[in-house]
Amino acid sequence: MKPFDIVIVGGGGAGLYAAMEAMKTNPALNIAVLSKVYPNRSHTSAAQGGANAALANKAKDDSVEMHIFDTIKGSDYLADQDAVDVLCSEAPKIIRELENIGTPWSRMEDNTIAQRPFGGAGRPRCCYCADKTGHTILQTLYEQCLRKGVLFFNEYFALNLSVNGSRSKGLIAMNMKTGKVEAFPAKTVIFATGGYAKMYWNRSSNAAGNTGDGQAIAYRAGIPMKDMEFVQFHPTGLRKSGLLVTEGARGEGGYLINKDGERFMARYAKEKMELGPRDLVSRSIETEILEGRGFDSPAGKYIHLDLRHLGADLIKSRLPQIREMTLNFEGVDPIEEPIPIRPTAHYSMGGIDTDNFGRTVMDGVYAAGECACVSVHGANRLGGNSLLDILVFGRIAGHTAAEEAGKFEPGSISEEELKENVEEIRTRMQPSGHYERYGALREELGQTLALNVGIFRESSLLHKGIEDIAELKERFKKVRVFDSSDVFNTNLQQVLELQNMLDLAETVAVGALAREESRGSHTRIDFPVRDDEKWHKHTLATLVDGKATPGEKPVTMGRYELQERTY
Amino acid sequence: MTETIDQHQEGKRDVTFRVFRFNPQVDSKPYFDDYTISAERGITVLRSLNYIKEHVDATLSFRAFCQAGICGSCGMRVNGISKLACTSQVWDELDKCREPGIIRVEPLRSLPMIKDLIVDMDPLVDKMTRYSNWVDSTMPLAEMGKKEFLISEEEFQQYDKATDCILCASCVSECSILRANKEYVSPAVLLKSYRMNVDSRDGIHDIRLAELVKDHGVWDCTHCYRCQESCVKSIPIMEAIHAIREDALESRGPRDTSGAKHAEAFMEDIEKKGKLVEATLPIRTNGVVWTLRNLLPMAMKMIVKRRTPPPPPLVKSAKGIKVFRAMFREMTEHVKQDHLKSQKK
Ligand SMILES: Cc1cc2nc3c(=O)[nH]c(=O)nc-3n(C[C@H](O)[C@H](O)[C@H](O)COP(=O)(O)OP(=O)(O)OC[C@H]3O[C@@H](n4cnc5c(N)ncnc54)[C@H](O)[C@@H]3O)c2cc1C
Ligand code: SF4
Ligand code: SF4
Ligand code: FES
Repeated sequence: MKPFDIVIVGGGGAGLYAAMEAMKTNPALNIAVLSKVYPNRSHTSAAQGGANAALANKAKDDSVEMHIFDTIKGSDYLADQDAVDVLCSEAPKIIRELENIGTPWSRMEDNTIAQRPFGGAGRPRCCYCADKTGHTILQTLYEQCLRKGVLFFNEYFALNLSVNGSRSKGLIAMNMKTGKVEAFPAKTVIFATGGYAKMYWNRSSNAAGNTGDGQAIAYRAGIPMKDMEFVQFHPTGLRKSGLLVTEGARGEGGYLINKDGERFMARYAKEKMELGPRDLVSRSIETEILEGRGFDSPAGKYIHLDLRHLGADLIKSRLPQIREMTLNFEGVDPIEEPIPIRPTAHYSMGGIDTDNFGRTVMDGVYAAGECACVSVHGANRLGGNSLLDILVFGRIAGHTAAEEAGKFEPGSISEEELKENVEEIRTRMQPSGHYERYGALREELGQTLALNVGIFRESSLLHKGIEDIAELKERFKKVRVFDSSDVFNTNLQQVLELQNMLDLAETVAVGALAREESRGSHTRIDFPVRDDEKWHKHTLATLVDGKATPGEKPVTMGRYELQERTY
Repeated sequence: MTETIDQHQEGKRDVTFRVFRFNPQVDSKPYFDDYTISAERGITVLRSLNYIKEHVDATLSFRAFCQAGICGSCGMRVNGISKLACTSQVWDELDKCREPGIIRVEPLRSLPMIKDLIVDMDPLVDKMTRYSNWVDSTMPLAEMGKKEFLISEEEFQQYDKATDCILCASCVSECSILRANKEYVSPAVLLKSYRMNVDSRDGIHDIRLAELVKDHGVWDCTHCYRCQESCVKSIPIMEAIHAIREDALESRGPRDTSGAKHAEAFMEDIEKKGKLVEATLPIRTNGVVWTLRNLLPMAMKMIVKRRTPPPPPLVKSAKGIKVFRAMFREMTEHVKQDHLKSQKK
C-alpha cells in the first residue's frame, strides 16, 4: 500500500474531527481513517447530556474564565492548567463551528444555541440537542467527512504499531471482512480509539468495544499511559447490563432503597438525599451493598431505584425514555416495580500521555479523545467536558499531525513483520488440550476490577486485584479462537480485545495501588484524604520487560492555587 | 456466566433460536441452526445471542456495539421483522413466533450478505454520498466558528425527529421497492435528504433535489408505509418522502418522472371535472391499491396551493366512478411498467 501521511485510528468524535482538520490544514496529504465499527456507530453517539462551552447564550455573565475554574476544581486540581485553558478557550469556537456545519442544536427563544445546567458547572453552559447530543455531533462529523471524501477503512481492527527504535513506521490492522492482516505504512499515526471503562465489563455503561485498544497498542509499543487509576463511576447502572439510567430518574424524585426498605441516602447526604453529587451517591450505594444491605441475585448485588410513588402519569409523561430503557434492557416496568441498579464504570480519565498538541513521546504518534490523557479532566471529569475534549483535541491533533507529517520519512513495513502478526493470531486458532473460554475470563476481569479496583480501594484489595489480573493473563495464554473463518471473525476480535483490556487493567490497578491518597474518582479507604504534598502529580505506567512500571510527571499549574474541593 | 441467562430465578423459559447461518468460505448456500437455551424474563435477543456465542457456538457471527439501542449495529430480522436485537425482549418475541417456542433470527434483507447475520452496509453509505446527505454550509469559510446561524424552534422541529435516525437499516430491509431494485435510493437516505433539504444552513438544496428526482429516486417509492412501520426510532419517514415530492413538484414542476407527469395529468383532470375529495373516497374504500395513496394526496395539495375553489360534491353516478377507476388502472399500469423496466436494468 502507498504510504500515508496520516493514519487515524478511530472514527468517533475525536478521530473524525482530526481527519477534517488535517484535510483542511493540508489538502494535499494522503489521509486514512480506520475504524473497527462504521464511524457513526462509535461510542460518541451514546453521549446524551451535551457539551460545555461558555457561549453565554443562557447566562449572560458566563465566561471562559469561569469554565476554566470549574474544570480545574472539578478535576480535584490534577488537570494541567495550560491544557484546560486551551480546552475552554476553544470551546465557543468549536461549538459554533459544529453549528455552522449542520449540528442540530436545540435552540433558545432568541434562536441561539440552547444551554442547560450540568453537574459541577457554575453557570448553565452545556450545549445540547435534546437527549441525543453525541449522536447528532457524530452524525454531523461523519456527514462532513463523507462530503470531503475522507478515505475510510471501515471495520478494520488495529492490531499493532510498527516501530523502529524511537519512531513509528505505521500501523498493522486486520480487515474484518476478509481477515487479511494489512500494513498501513505512515508518517504519522493518530490514536482516537475511545475509552477503556469496558474492562469493568458488566459493570460498565460503555459499548462492548470500548476496550482501550489504542491505549494497549501504544502501551505495547512503549508509550507511557497517564493517570490510569482514575475511572469515573456513575451511580445508577442497570444491574444486568451496567447500562445507564440517567440522572433524570432521581431528578424527578426517585428514591434509592436498600433491602431493609430504607431511603439510605439520609445517612450520607441528609439534605440533598438522592440528588447529591455523582461520586458521593456512588459511594453511598456501594457502602450499602458492602455492608450487606443490598439485594442479592445471580447477576450480583444491587439496590433499588424506586419510582413507583411518582405514579404512572408522571413516569409516562416525564420519564418515558427511562421507562422504555428499563423495559427493553431489564424487563422491568418502573410503574410497577423498582429498578435494580448499582454503580457502573462510565468514563476513563486516564489514557495515552500527550502534550497539549496531541504528541506522545514517540515521534510521529499522536493521540486524542478519551483514549488520550492531556490532561484536562485530572482526577474527575465534569459532565459535558468530554465531548468538548474530543472535539478540541481531536482537531488539534489533526492539525499538528498535518503540520508535522513532512518532518518524518514514510515508514515501510516488512512482510516478515506482517507475518509475525498473522502468526500470533494463527497460534490462537490451533487446537490444544486444555483451553480457557474468553467469555469467562472477560467476566472475571470485570468482577475483580469492580470488587478490588472499583469505587472503594484499599491496599490489600488492590494487591488481590493485581494478582487476579496476573492470573487472568496467564490463563489468557490458553484462550482459543474456535471460529477458523477469515470472514468477519468476531470471535477472534473479541479475544484480541480481551488481551487489550488485560494489558491495560494492570496499569489501572498498579496506578491505584501507587497513589496513596484519595482524589476525585480515586477513593482509598486506607488513605482517605487528598495528599497534595506527596501526590499532586500525574502517575505514568510504562511497559518494561512485560510489566507495568510506574513513573510520574508534574502537574502544570497556572492561575489557580490548590484548594479543597467542596460543593 | 452470570450476565446472561440466570438459571436460578423462577420465571425462565426454554427458547429455541433458529438462526440463519452462512459462511461464504465454506457454505454453498445458507442454512439454519437451532440453539435452545433457557432465558429468564428481561433478557434481550442480543444477550441471548451473546450467550450462545460464548457458551454454545463461538462461530455464530453478528454485529453489536452499544447494546443500548443507540449505535444501530444490531439490526436483524427477528421473527420476520427487521429490528434491533438489543432492544427486543425474548419473552415478547415468544408471543410472536410462528412456531411456538422458536424465534427465527435472520439477517437484514436488501443488503449484500457477508456472514451469518452480518450484511454489508457500504451500499447505504454510497447512497448517502450520492444524495449529498450532508449540510453544505452557506457560512463563508473565514466566518466559520465565529458566529451562529439563528435557527427558529419551528425550523428545528422540522428536522428534529429525522435526526433520530441511527442508520440501523431496518427500514432498508423492509422496503418493498428495494427488494426489487437495489439501486433505489432507500428510505433512510430519503429521510436524511429531507432533513438536509429543510435545513436553512444548507446551500445545495437544488442539487440534492435534482438527484432525488432522477431514476431510482423519490418517485419510485410506492408509499407502502413499511419503512415507517418498522422504523426502530418511530420516525415518520413517510412525511419526509411526501415533503420531498411536494417540494419537487413545487420547485421543479411536473417534468421529472412519469410518476410526476401522471400526477399532474390526473390533477388537471380532476380540476376540469371538479370532482375531487369525495370522488376519491369510494375508490379508496374499494381498494384501488397503492397508486391512489401514492399520487392523490399530492395532487390535492397542489390544488389547494393553487387556490382552486373547493370542488363540488361528487355526483353519485356509477358512471363517474367507473371513469375514475379506469384512470387509476391506467396509471397503476404505467408506474408498474416503470418499475419493471428499472428492475431489468
Ligand atoms: C452513556 C454515556 C454517556 C455520556 N454522556 C456524555 C455527555 O453527556 N457529555 C460528554 O461530554 N461526554 C459524555 N460521555 C463521554 C463521551 O461520550 C466519550 O468520552 C466520547 O464520546 C469519546 O469519544 P472518542 O472520539 O474519544 O471515542 P469513541 O467515540 O469511543 O470512538 C472510538 C473509535 O475508535 C475506534 N476503534 C477503537 N478500537 C479500535 C481498533 N482496535 N481498531 C480500529 N478502530 C478502533 C472505534 O471504532 C471508534 O470509531 C458519555 C459516555 C457514555 C458511556
Ligand atoms: S414507503 Fe417507499 S421507501 Fe418506504 S418501504 Fe415503501 S417503497 Fe420503501
Ligand atoms: S429511519 Fe429508522 S429504521 Fe431506518 S435506518 Fe433510520 S432509525 Fe433505522
Ligand atoms: S448494539 Fe447498538 S443498537 Fe443494538
